Amino acid sequence: MKFLINRWLTRNAQSEIHADHLRRLRITDIWVGLTRTGILLLFLLGWEWSANAGWIDPFLFSSPSRIWELFLQMSATGELYRDIGITVLETVLGFILGTAGGTMIATLIWASPFLSRVLDPYLVVLNSMPKVALGPLFIVTTGAGFGSILAMGVAITIIITTLVIHSSFQSVDPDYLKLARSLGASRRQLFCSIIFPSCIPDLIAALKVNVGLAWVGVIVGEFLVSKNGLGYLIIYGFQVFNLTLVLLSLVIVALCATAMYQIVSWFERRLLHHRHL
Amino acid sequence: MQTTFAIEVDRVSKTYLSKRDQVEALNPVSFRVQSGEFVSLVGSSGCGKSTVLSLIAGLIPATSGEIRLWGERVTRPPRGIGYMLQQDCLLDWRTVKKNILLGLEFQGLKNRKTIAHARFLLRELGLAHTSEQYPSQLSGGMRQRVALVRTLALQPDILLLDEPFSALDYQNKLHLEELLINVLKKRRMTALLVTHDLEEALACSDRILIMGGQPGDIRRSLEVPEELRKAKPLHARGLPSFRPLFNEIWKEIEKP
Repeated sequence: MKFLINRWLTRNAQSEIHADHLRRLRITDIWVGLTRTGILLLFLLGWEWSANAGWIDPFLFSSPSRIWELFLQMSATGELYRDIGITVLETVLGFILGTAGGTMIATLIWASPFLSRVLDPYLVVLNSMPKVALGPLFIVTTGAGFGSILAMGVAITIIITTLVIHSSFQSVDPDYLKLARSLGASRRQLFCSIIFPSCIPDLIAALKVNVGLAWVGVIVGEFLVSKNGLGYLIIYGFQVFNLTLVLLSLVIVALCATAMYQIVSWFERRLLHHRHL
Repeated sequence: MQTTFAIEVDRVSKTYLSKRDQVEALNPVSFRVQSGEFVSLVGSSGCGKSTVLSLIAGLIPATSGEIRLWGERVTRPPRGIGYMLQQDCLLDWRTVKKNILLGLEFQGLKNRKTIAHARFLLRELGLAHTSEQYPSQLSGGMRQRVALVRTLALQPDILLLDEPFSALDYQNKLHLEELLINVLKKRRMTALLVTHDLEEALACSDRILIMGGQPGDIRRSLEVPEELRKAKPLHARGLPSFRPLFNEIWKEIEKP
């Protein structure tokens, strides 16, 4: 048994010292994993136990088992999945539109230095403004529903994307531009072959930030107007003092946002595996 | 009979203008480079050596004067010149094969014949095995050789070299110098090399233009003796006539 474990820990080793090194690395990996899971279990068990023992008020703080029960109950009727679907759709759309729109505006601004100077103060003002405060405007223009929630998701991501991507366009090493021009590149070719590809790492960083921001926009949007979605569940649960529902929604939001982040990371690995970062 | 020079720089000056002030980089300078000649520009930093190259490459406009390549006035980046920088500027996201085709792509000259030629150059410079690799997998010397292939793929007849070897270690530098000279001689190309390395200038070129001052101008033009010109860059450095000349240029540059 001990032999088997040791062989597993030292798999792919090329020599004695390499095996030692691998064993040490892998044992650390295992400890990290165990500690992580341990913390989560301890937290959940402690929560459950203190709720049952009456140390914390289960009416206010619920407990893991109550959340799980509610989850099963709501899954059975299917309403939960509809809410998840709507919110995820709004977030993904807001995220994509915001990022693509921001990149497009940045490209336009890059193409015209004049426009860039003209728009600069507007961008600064729009960026400093809390986008959530625009909520009422969205509601009166696009109606209290899907439209204004999406608008919130886009508003919160598009300006910062524009600023980040535009400054990234401008920070491309001038030697590369010199070289491309000496090779006969037109301005369009310069953009498509040199500037845009060299900004992809920054674009991905913007994507990662936007995952979080799009969730903020959509949840706040749902707080304000919605009749369904996870944000609605949170605000509804709060109003009827069903904190179990609030916590369940929070857990689901956390899981969905993490999943989106992982998808972006996967893209990052695919797109950037040749570059040294 | 009127001979056409490969490069003619005719009373060209450059003043950089910015919001705050103006910087005179270059006093009016004039010089000519014959077809097939290898000329080096040396001088202290800030004397406008690189400015001269950027002007000839058509990357920046001259403040006054005129530049002619083969008798034709330069107003924008001309075809038929290759420009090499200290940085290899290879695109990290393209394989070597795609990097060397960049210029052909820009100029819409990518076809079976030019691609085959680029491949041939890659083989000639001993890089055939790297064609599917990415720049990050190559060493500094190899990367600069790929950059050379990219430049040569456009079959230029004039090469502008802006300290292309100064980021390399000594050994790689000597290798590349020799390689470059072979390539140039074989194709009868004209070259203008900007360098702060006097040894490099002496070992490689037919003629040396010594620049100085701020704003800069040309102080002296010095023919490299036959003996040094014929020797390979590595051997030239060891010849008895090398040191005295080196010291002479050094003194000229050091003059206030």
